[in-house]
Amino acid sequence: MKAPTLRWRVLLVIVLAAIVPTVIVGVLAIVRARGDVEREVHRGALAHIRALGAALDGTLQDARRTVELAAATWADDPDDVRKTQLLARRLRRDVPIVSSLSILDVDGKLRHGDPVPQGVDIGSHSFGGYIGDAQHASGKTIVNLVVQARGRTGEQIGVFVASLDLEFVRDVIATARLGEGARVVVVDGAGLPVAASTTVLRSDSLAGKDPAVDRALASSVEGTLSANGWVSAYRNLSSYQSLRGVRWAILHQQPEHEAYALARRTTRDTLVIGGVALAIALLLGVFFATRLTRPLAALAQRADAIAAGTIVDAAPIKGPGEIGVLGQRIDEMAKRINERTELQQALARGDRLASVGVMSAQVAHEINNPLTTVLGYAKLLQEDKPEGHPDRAALEMIAEEAERMKGIVGGLLEYARTPRASERIGTPAIGIRAHEFTCEPAAVVRHVGALLGPQLKKARAALTAEIVSTKSVTIEAHSLQQVLVNLVQNAAQALTDVKAEDGTSITGGRISIGVRPAAGGIATLITVTDDGPGVPERDRARVFDPFFTTKAAGQGTGLGLAVCKHLIATAGGSIEVGEGPEGRGAEFRVVIPNAV
Amino acid sequence: MHRLVLLLLVACGGETTSAPPIRFLHTFNAEETELFNRLIDEKTIRVESSIVPFARGQQVIDEILRAGTSCPDLIRIDATWLPALRAELVEVPAELAGRDWTPEATKLAVDPQAATLAVPQTIDGLLVVRDRARPAPSSPAIDDLVAAARAAKATGYPLGLRVDGYWLVPWLRAEGVELSIEDNGIESDGAVKATARFAALFGDVAAPPPPAGSETPDELRRWNAGELAYWVTGPWALGALQDRDRLAVSALAHAPRGGQLLVVPKCAKRPGEGWKLAAELTDVAVLAKFAETFGTVPTRRSALAMAPQIARDIYAALAATEPLRRDPRTPLLFDDLNPALAAVIAHDATPDEAIAGVRRGWQRLRGKAR
Repeated sequence: MKAPTLRWRVLLVIVLAAIVPTVIVGVLAIVRARGDVEREVHRGALAHIRALGAALDGTLQDARRTVELAAATWADDPDDVRKTQLLARRLRRDVPIVSSLSILDVDGKLRHGDPVPQGVDIGSHSFGGYIGDAQHASGKTIVNLVVQARGRTGEQIGVFVASLDLEFVRDVIATARLGEGARVVVVDGAGLPVAASTTVLRSDSLAGKDPAVDRALASSVEGTLSANGWVSAYRNLSSYQSLRGVRWAILHQQPEHEAYALARRTTRDTLVIGGVALAIALLLGVFFATRLTRPLAALAQRADAIAAGTIVDAAPIKGPGEIGVLGQRIDEMAKRINERTELQQALARGDRLASVGVMSAQVAHEINNPLTTVLGYAKLLQEDKPEGHPDRAALEMIAEEAERMKGIVGGLLEYARTPRASERIGTPAIGIRAHEFTCEPAAVVRHVGALLGPQLKKARAALTAEIVSTKSVTIEAHSLQQVLVNLVQNAAQALTDVKAEDGTSITGGRISIGVRPAAGGIATLITVTDDGPGVPERDRARVFDPFFTTKAAGQGTGLGLAVCKHLIATAGGSIEVGEGPEGRGAEFRVVIPNAV
Repeated sequence: MHRLVLLLLVACGGETTSAPPIRFLHTFNAEETELFNRLIDEKTIRVESSIVPFARGQQVIDEILRAGTSCPDLIRIDATWLPALRAELVEVPAELAGRDWTPEATKLAVDPQAATLAVPQTIDGLLVVRDRARPAPSSPAIDDLVAAARAAKATGYPLGLRVDGYWLVPWLRAEGVELSIEDNGIESDGAVKATARFAALFGDVAAPPPPAGSETPDELRRWNAGELAYWVTGPWALGALQDRDRLAVSALAHAPRGGQLLVVPKCAKRPGEGWKLAAELTDVAVLAKFAETFGTVPTRRSALAMAPQIARDIYAALAATEPLRRDPRTPLLFDDLNPALAAVIAHDATPDEAIAGVRRGWQRLRGKAR
């Protein structure tokens, strides 16, 4: 399986480092938001029914206390009919939820008011009174409040029975501000609805049908329940001990869909925002991964090219920070490898040439002795023949060709000659004085001018010299002389090769030698300039190669410039060829270190 | 053996997940109800429970049993209600009755006619609760309790008493008066004397009574504040205390003893299921759990052995107490006794006047009985 690219790995890192934590945090936020909303919904619903329960409790308790006070007042003077009637009127007026009032004596006989509702226990073992269970009749829901009327000594004088209309419960519930789809239900101890904020069949008990009602009636306190798609908060009002035993419960119920709408919206918004954020993060991740890895990919390609040996002169790799530095280093490394490769190639070529040189030197050495013999005998035979002898011309030709062959052999021997220790730059051999391998270029130039004067005159070439520097240079005078002779002879030869438009040779021209300080002042620049045809640019890199010549066959050995380069390089200098100063002709520039 | 009984009960009841729930009417207080609901949730049985406020318990149960509709399968009642309800109840299966009940529990569960009509769930009664740092009264006698309270260097009123006829019982018994409609003890001077002695403690060593309905929170506040040095109360009050480790209990002479019972009415549609739930609620682990949570006294010897020390101490303190007279009208006596006692303590009436009113009320009760 192919390994993922660096770009995809970087992208994966971004995903792991940024997106995964974001997703985890998002999920946790959603879960926590859901939990918070649920708690708030439950808390709010419980607070709601606590307030409603307290309102119901307060109303009933107020009624009970008022009736108890009236009963105690009546018990102090139960036989005063006028006072009893006044008390009953005030009681009905001050407690509007009293729908009927019965005042009984201690034996249970009606002393005043309405007949006692059927089935009412008038208070035995009720700790002085009670509020009974809710009763449903004639479309109304009531509870009976029974209060024992006791006198100053605590002795029972009679009983007050007041029926309390629970329509006020509906009024209290109606004031409640409920959420979407929510309802509040008050049920009695049997699960029958006493009042509800929505239409509920009063004749049907919710016990056994609604789990929240069952839980509310089974609980002594309050709680919440999620069942059948509803969220219910309940409170068993039996816990209101002040009511002396009212058995009922109040419930706040809301469809889960509505109750947790906020949580759902929060979840949705979180998902949308999170999704957009993730998409942006992903796009940015791709962008930055691409941008980050592009230079690295180029570096990889460059490294591949280096490894494959196909180094090209490519544009430098640019990148931010360390990547840019790395690109520079790789470029430098590639350049050095390139240089090393070229050097190795040059060395290989040099080795080959050295082998050829050695072989040539051996051949030249072997040829030189018989050639001397041939030349000697040719000259002897020539001397033996009188002028005009028919063999004399042939003998002259043999002697000339033998002479020319000696020149070639001598050149080869000179090129292949291993430099002496004294010729090595800056490291004179022990016992050899430094001045033995230095010379003054001006003196050598003057000697060369004198040496080549006849030859230049014959070629109608004017040699001029401009000596600016008089410092000694680190090359043996003989070697510098050989170089300059070679360069001036080549210049003179070049001047004679100029052809006129009619095909005739145009001879003559100017050759100048300059000696001046090189740039930096630590070397001397020697130039040999002519106004001949110059050296074509395509040949300039090869003119110093052995056996390279542009002359006609038999007119050059191709070793002159190679020997020159060899001698100059051996002296630690350099030689190159270019155009003349006026854009025509040739100029050979020789730089040789100054002697210290 | 009891495991076998449970298995048999389960088999008889034919309990399945689709079976209707066991209908249970109970008088647990708020904290006990929550524990009961948790315990039931942990079990496989389904229970539809409903609370009967203790103050109206006998009346509501009587109404339900007389109506015959919505009849529960099991009811938790106060032991004093048993004689009045006995005609409506079925006898306890022998296997259940044969459990290792304590003698006090057995005594509560048997009606005056020696029929075992109830499974005892807990026993209670009056005793003296004090901070462990306080010395115990030198004897269970009332006078020694009052003397110890007077000696206690506490701010406020060091003795905790409640304006309730049940609390008057030790003082009545000390004067030789039993809380009984059949005895004529209420007619004696002892009843007046006991009432006077009891009422005289309020405002002296016992705090004046708080407003009606706030007795329990007032007692808790005073106990937590360290004001109460000696507190005459029952195990039912100890569950709400936070630091039960500092409690110590001792007996109170002549104190009444009671308890809570589980009964199955004759109108129950599934009495076997009712007894099954009763067996669960008196399982050793459940009784021990109630004892650990609230300090209530287990009714079985094996559960008592597992109960915390405070529950065993309470059991020991209650051992010397005597139940109220087993008469159907005994609970009704408090209707007249409580307001008369309150009138005396409030100085609205003299003990003579108040007890005279009680005598007339009890005479009317006797007349109704006839």
